[in-house]
Amino acid sequence: MSKGLNRFAILVACATFFLIIAGALVTSNDAGLATEDWPLSNGQVFPEMVGNLFWEHGHRMVATTVGMLTIALLIYILVKEKRSWVRKLGVYALLAVIAQGLLGGLTVKLLLPLPVSTAHATLAQLFFCITVSLAVFTSRSWIEAQPLPEEDTRKGSMPLRYLCTAALVTIFLQLVIGATLRHSATWDQHLPTELIVAHICGALAVTIALGKATLTTLKRYKGHTFLTRPATMALVLLCVQLILGVLAYLTRLASPEDPQPLHPMIGITVAHVACGALVFVTTIVLTLRTYKVLGAPDSAWETNSSLKAELRTQG
Amino acid sequence: MNKQTKVWLVLSIALSLVLAAACGGGPTNSTNPPANTESAGAGPYSGATGTVSGVISYDGTPPAAKKIDTSADPVCGQKNPNLATDDTIVTDGKLANTFVYIKEGTVEGGKKIGDYTWAAPSTAAQLDQNGCHYAPHVMGVQVNQKISITNSDATQHNIHPTPKLNPEWNQTQANGAAPIEKSFARPEVLIPVKCNQHPWMKAYIGVMRTPFFAVSSKDGSFEIKGVPPGKYTVVAWREGGANGTEKTMEVTVPANGAAKADFAFGGAATTSVNPSLQMMPAIEFPMLGKH
Repeated sequence: MSKGLNRFAILVACATFFLIIAGALVTSNDAGLATEDWPLSNGQVFPEMVGNLFWEHGHRMVATTVGMLTIALLIYILVKEKRSWVRKLGVYALLAVIAQGLLGGLTVKLLLPLPVSTAHATLAQLFFCITVSLAVFTSRSWIEAQPLPEEDTRKGSMPLRYLCTAALVTIFLQLVIGATLRHSATWDQHLPTELIVAHICGALAVTIALGKATLTTLKRYKGHTFLTRPATMALVLLCVQLILGVLAYLTRLASPEDPQPLHPMIGITVAHVACGALVFVTTIVLTLRTYKVLGAPDSAWETNSSLKAELRTQG
Repeated sequence: MNKQTKVWLVLSIALSLVLAAACGGGPTNSTNPPANTESAGAGPYSGATGTVSGVISYDGTPPAAKKIDTSADPVCGQKNPNLATDDTIVTDGKLANTFVYIKEGTVEGGKKIGDYTWAAPSTAAQLDQNGCHYAPHVMGVQVNQKISITNSDATQHNIHPTPKLNPEWNQTQANGAAPIEKSFARPEVLIPVKCNQHPWMKAYIGVMRTPFFAVSSKDGSFEIKGVPPGKYTVVAWREGGANGTEKTMEVTVPANGAAKADFAFGGAATTSVNPSLQMMPAIEFPMLGKH
C-alpha cells in the first residue's frame, strides 16, 4: 500500500468536489454562456475575469487543474499500484474527465441544450464517485479490512450490501432528475412543475432507501466503524440535504422576481448540489465497504482467487 | 456482486439515462409560422392610410425599481452608479415600454392586412449597450430587417436573444468591436434578449411581418402610422410573468383619419403569477422575504 498514492487520490477527490462547487456556481449565476467560444474564453487563455466570465472561466481553470491532477494520479497509479482493477479504474477516471471536458465544450457550443447540460452535470457526479472510490481502494483501512460475520438472512431480510446498492441507484436517479430540473430553466424563469414533483418524489425515495440502508448498518454492525462511520455520515448529510432542498425550492421560487441572480438563492442552490454530491459519494463508500467485508457465497471478494492473491501481496 | 444485481444495476443506469434524455429537449418549434413570404396576388399596399394612436396608462401604485448590484463589473458601476430595473417605468400614471402592434384585421375592400407585401426597411434598427443597460429596452423590427447592435461600454458584453420561433444565437462583443448585424426571419412577439456577462441586462425585440407597431414613450403615448383603413385587432404587450401580459382591442381606422386605442395596465396585470404554485396547491409554502 502506498500512503503517498492514497493521499494524492484524496487530493484529487477534494479537487473534484471543489470543481463540482465551481460548476454549480456557473449554473446558479447563469454564467454558462458568458463566453461563446471553447476551449478559449473570448479567444484568450486568461481573459479579464469580470462579470459572469469570472464564474465560467474560473470553472474552466479549475476543471483544467482537475484534469491535470487526474493525469498525474493515473501515472502514480500505474507506477505504484499492482492491482489491475485499480489501474483500470484510474484509466476510467481519465476517460471520464476527458469526456466531461468535451461535454462542457459541447454544451457551450450548442447553447446549453438540456440533455447535454444534464449529461455534463451527471457525469460530474460519476467522476467524483470514481475519484472517491480510488481514494477508498488505495486506503489502508480498505486494504487491511477484515471480513465481518456473514449476515443472517434466513429470516428473509435483505443483505446489507443490496440495501446499500439500492440506495446508491436511487440517489443516482435523483441526481439525474435534479440535474434535469436545475438546467430546465434559468434563474428568471419558474421551474417546470412536473420536474419539481419528480424531484420531490425522488427525495422521498432516497430518504426511504438510504434511511433503511444506514439504519440497518448502524443496527446490525454497531461498533464496526468501517461501516458505521460512512453510514452515520450519509444519514447526517441526508438530513442536511433535505433541509437544503426545501430552502433551495423556496429561494428558487422567488428568484424570477429578482433583478439578477442573488444570494441566498445562489448559495443555497450551490450548497444543495454540493451536499447531494457528498450524499452520493458517502453512500458509495458505504456500499463498497459492505461488499468488501460482508461475505456471501457468490461474493466477488471471496471467489476471485487472483484478487485475493493481489490483496495478499499488498499486505 | 451476483449476476442478478449486476443486471439490475445496468438496467437502473440505462433507465436513468433514458429518463434524462426524455426530460431533455429544447424549445419546441412545432408551431413555426412560415418565414416572411409574399402572399399570392396582394402585392404592396398603395391606397389611403390612417393612424392608430393612444396612451398606455398604469392603474395603481407601480412596483418600485430594484437597485442592481453591478459590483461584478466595476465598469458598470462607474458608468451607471444608479442602475435599477426598468421593467415598469411609470410617469404621472403613464406607462413606457409597452409594445403595441396590429395583430390582424381586414382592410377596406376585403383583403386581410397580411395579404399585402410589407417590405422590410433598408435602414437597420439600433440596439446599444450603454451603461450595462440595453437601449432601447423594448423595440420592434420587421421580419428580415437588420438590427445593428453596438457596445458603448468599456467592457465586454454578450448578446443572447432567446427566441422560441427563430434560431437562437449568442455572441460576445468587446469594447470597440464593430457593430453586430443580425435579423430574424420569423414573426415573434416578443424575443427576450439577455447578456450572459451581466445577467440583469434585458431587452425585448418584437419581430413583425408588417410595419404597424410602436413602443410607448415615457408619457405613455404611441402612434402607428400608415395603416390602411379597415378593422383591426390591436394588441398592447408588456413584460412581466412567464410570457408578458397582453391586452387587445378592436379598432376601425378611417381613411386619412385616426383611431384611438388607449390601454390600461395595473397592479393585477403586473402581478407575477407562479405557474408552479398554481398547479401545486398542496405544496404552497409561504415565500421567503425579499433580499
